[in-house]
Amino acid sequence: MPKRIWLWFAHTRVGRSVFRVGLPQSNLERSQAMVSSFLLHVQPAKVSRHALRASYTLGLGLISLYLFLILTVTGVLLMFYYVPSTEQAYGRMKDLQYVVSAGLVVRNMHRWAAHLMVLSVALHMCRVFYTGAYKRPREFNWVLGVGLFLTTLGLSFTGYLLPWDQLAFWAITVGTSIAGYAPLIGPKVQFLLLGGNVVGQEALTRFYALHVIVLPAIAGLMIAVHLWRVRKDGGLSRPDGTEDTVQSIALGQLPTNKSYGLMELARGTTPQVGKDPDDEVFSWPHLIFRELLLFLLVVAVVLFLAVFWNAPLEEVANAVHPPNPAKAPWYFLGLQELVSYSAFWGGVVVPSLLVTALLLLPYMDRRVQGVGRWFARERTIANVIFSVCLVVAVALTIIGTAFRGPNWSWVVPWRPPPAITEGR
Amino acid sequence: MNGTLPDNGVSRRGFFQLTLGWLAASFAAVATAVATVRFLEPNVVFEPGQRFKAGKPDDYPDGSITFLEAERVFLVRRGNSFRCVSAVCTHLGCTVNRAGRGYHCPCHGSAFNEEGSVESGPAPRGLAWFLVTLSKDNRLLIDKAQSVNSDKYLIV
Repeated sequence: MPKRIWLWFAHTRVGRSVFRVGLPQSNLERSQAMVSSFLLHVQPAKVSRHALRASYTLGLGLISLYLFLILTVTGVLLMFYYVPSTEQAYGRMKDLQYVVSAGLVVRNMHRWAAHLMVLSVALHMCRVFYTGAYKRPREFNWVLGVGLFLTTLGLSFTGYLLPWDQLAFWAITVGTSIAGYAPLIGPKVQFLLLGGNVVGQEALTRFYALHVIVLPAIAGLMIAVHLWRVRKDGGLSRPDGTEDTVQSIALGQLPTNKSYGLMELARGTTPQVGKDPDDEVFSWPHLIFRELLLFLLVVAVVLFLAVFWNAPLEEVANAVHPPNPAKAPWYFLGLQELVSYSAFWGGVVVPSLLVTALLLLPYMDRRVQGVGRWFARERTIANVIFSVCLVVAVALTIIGTAFRGPNWSWVVPWRPPPAITEGR
Repeated sequence: MNGTLPDNGVSRRGFFQLTLGWLAASFAAVATAVATVRFLEPNVVFEPGQRFKAGKPDDYPDGSITFLEAERVFLVRRGNSFRCVSAVCTHLGCTVNRAGRGYHCPCHGSAFNEEGSVESGPAPRGLAWFLVTLSKDNRLLIDKAQSVNSDKYLIV
């Protein structure tokens, strides 16, 4: 019945004006459906079978995008009640928990989606590394990806202060103090971030502006370019055998007797050019269906988490008594563990070196072998180096999360920590 | 312009135009960046003052170490001498707790001895000691803007 109504509407004069193509019936209309729709035209009319394989991409990029959308929607909803004031913020969080209809669920969704997004973006980066997908011509898209990863962390960090509870206050006190250790500009950066010398109203105002407009705008723009580049760089990476064999057309050598669409001037070859037709399927319905299914799955998982687990809210921020131990969110606990040895080396030098290495990676690793397959044998050395870094990062995070107790001393998670004596 | 262009294809007028253009553009970019950073840097901060009165000397019993919450300092009295040590960890700004005779930071485990010097942990410097003076109305006056050595006392 709904399909009938839809079919009837799509073929009325009004429906035609909106959708141009009705529900596609032929291959031509399947292509037109993709090309003539604003929302769909970002994607190709036909897509390689390999790109659809869930075992290759794990859908992580798309999951990150969906989480970003969920975060935008729930974030805007939260903005309708939240007030970025040190006097009101915490009370507003309590209102969201106990007074606003569905406020608890919206806040929970926002929090869990944020955690999941950090996870999915990090895993997406691992996937792209282990499949060698950052290699030519996709180097710059990897750089954009690193930028998006950092923006995601920045969004979580700025969002952390907003509830104005103990966790918020001390995580930001510690985090901005780490910034203060950077050579030369450190103290200045810290002062600019906080808008003062201590975490107070100025800091809350600034973090709010960064969290609700500056960083989301940057992230949104970078996501748009990131997705656009996926297509312009020839679609998702594929194994050598399925890569296009047609030579790309150098600019300035275009035959003048042919009319080329702008999309054919992309660097390299697009998936549509010179391909064995058997290797490709129509995006409508193969790609669209999978995308919608994944969206449903992501929303379901976030909703499930939000309904059954509440986002933590500690006591109201108290500038005098840090909780013991004062811990950052889990994805910063590896960093905090490093910082507990040395703020300068662990908080500034190691992260800067890591980010620099990630940014330069596609330009240093120039071999083109082993693209498009997981753990390709040709890339053993690169994979081992990356895995070692990854294992160390995960191990530090686990230590910081589970094995550090009061006074940041060693504890074992399955035994209660010893009682602490706080003389005053 | 009359005459032919030099070999590199840039005329005198073109050279000046380019130079002026780039200079103007660079100046505009730098000026905008500087002004923006300057705008973001507050000229007035709404934070508690650095100098405060801590009551009468006799409010603190002999041999006591008192935590002044709002100011995040410990006031140390021994006999007739008064000292004031910061409770802000030099590592990443957490508030330290008393632990035994010294101080201990709950965030990353830095330990300081009685004199505020680092005993263990990641703290790069010892805790700061602040100047303690006596105001005209016989109140302890502490100035957190003035650091002193740990052996500087106020004797009342």
